[in-house]
Amino acid sequence: MSSTTVISTPSAVLATFDRTTSRWGRLTMIAALVMSLAAPLYLVLFADLGITQTQVWIAFLAVAAVFSVLWVVEPITYYPILGPAAMYQAFMIGNIANKLLPSALVAQAAIGAKAGTKRGEFSALMAICGAAMVHVFFMLVFVGLLGSWLVNIVPADVTDVARLYIFPSIIGGVIVQLVVSLKQPRVTLIAIGTAGFVFFVLVPAIPTIANLATGITVVTTAVLAWFLRSKPRSDSTKEIS
Amino acid sequence: MITSLPGDPGSTDILAIANLPILWLLAVGVFAAIILQTVVYVRAARIAAPAAGISSAELKTSFRAGAVAAIGPSLAVVLVSVALLSLFGTPAVLVRVGLVGSAATETASASIAATTMGAALGDASYTQSVFAVAFMAMSLSGAMWMIATLVLTPLLRRGDSRLRSVNPALMAIIPAAALLGAFASLGIGELRKTPVHILTVLTSAAVMGMCLFLAHRFNVAWLREWGLGFSIVIGLFVAYTLHTTGLMPGA
Repeated sequence: MSSTTVISTPSAVLATFDRTTSRWGRLTMIAALVMSLAAPLYLVLFADLGITQTQVWIAFLAVAAVFSVLWVVEPITYYPILGPAAMYQAFMIGNIANKLLPSALVAQAAIGAKAGTKRGEFSALMAICGAAMVHVFFMLVFVGLLGSWLVNIVPADVTDVARLYIFPSIIGGVIVQLVVSLKQPRVTLIAIGTAGFVFFVLVPAIPTIANLATGITVVTTAVLAWFLRSKPRSDSTKEIS
Repeated sequence: MITSLPGDPGSTDILAIANLPILWLLAVGVFAAIILQTVVYVRAARIAAPAAGISSAELKTSFRAGAVAAIGPSLAVVLVSVALLSLFGTPAVLVRVGLVGSAATETASASIAATTMGAALGDASYTQSVFAVAFMAMSLSGAMWMIATLVLTPLLRRGDSRLRSVNPALMAIIPAAALLGAFASLGIGELRKTPVHILTVLTSAAVMGMCLFLAHRFNVAWLREWGLGFSIVIGLFVAYTLHTTGLMPGA
């Protein structure tokens, strides 16, 4: 900032950035984790509801049976897109696919930064910060303060439609934006082909993997995109090792 | 509302325990953690920006673009949250649906947890104890996502920096492939649901295509930022029309 600042190399500056964001990202996430568990724990332990440990464990195991794969698959899936710093934001703020990733993409498109570069990473980080602040504000004002009043004035069929169709109305636009901004026709075709195969062939054949469909598609697309990439001639000989 | 013993296991008056002041306090605490994180990140990014080859004007543009793009989706989450208030009370909805999870995963978790107690969400069997167990189960599940993130991020980062230095071409292709793979999968997942879902996806895609085309053709930058908002609103409008007029089989 000022002229007296010690001149440091870009890599040292970036290393400091990584250290700061990792440390604070983890600390804030752990704080959120503890507080989000403390709330139901208080009810279970101190509200005289006669709840047994067994009841809690059975309920948790039933939920785990459905979601345990996603606990692990989602962080791995989103890591290459988000980068380390934004991981701690994304999994605390939530609504990743329908809000944070679209925001990051819009921001990268706005300044012409590519995913996977430092510029792209910073742009995504700032976009998620912007998205987080808007979201926190809206939630606190419209749900926290005005929620019980809004319940009575929004017609039930409007909230029904919002609940049922919000995701499709987001995803169509996001896909188009993604395809246009990435300009990778080959990878796009591979992704659509893989997703189609997973949903229309693999999942009907083995219904138990339905929860894994997105994870499988991501991994397969990544592997295929790598092996089917357009290679310069000189490069192809080096790959065999 | 609050007595020394607020709980009544058999009562279906969920809101009597779901809106306890201590739950409000903890919910506000989670929001405070996110605000603190954002402040720290923005400051760190400002300092490191030149080293990352990004100008402070571009940082600002990114922040604003992210904020604007989040308006539509956030309002949508607000709508869904309001719809779920009577089920979980304000603090639980704020933390579980508004943050951390999403309406889809959290209501699914709550419903699964209620089933293990022989109850269903929102009807006469949905008592205070069922609510507490469901709230506990969905919070534990959400906590597992965060724990996985805390454990995996440093591991992936180590692998990632090695990959980057060994093979830059790999890191240029993999993020794009992961993104396209994830959204192609989520999009095709929607197409399998109902005709209304299909038409909603197509409408949203067409609106975005139009916005991007106009933005490019006539050089209107703000259309790029607002494109997603328009896609969502027009997509939902079409869904609402089809859903309420019953022109097509919906959900």
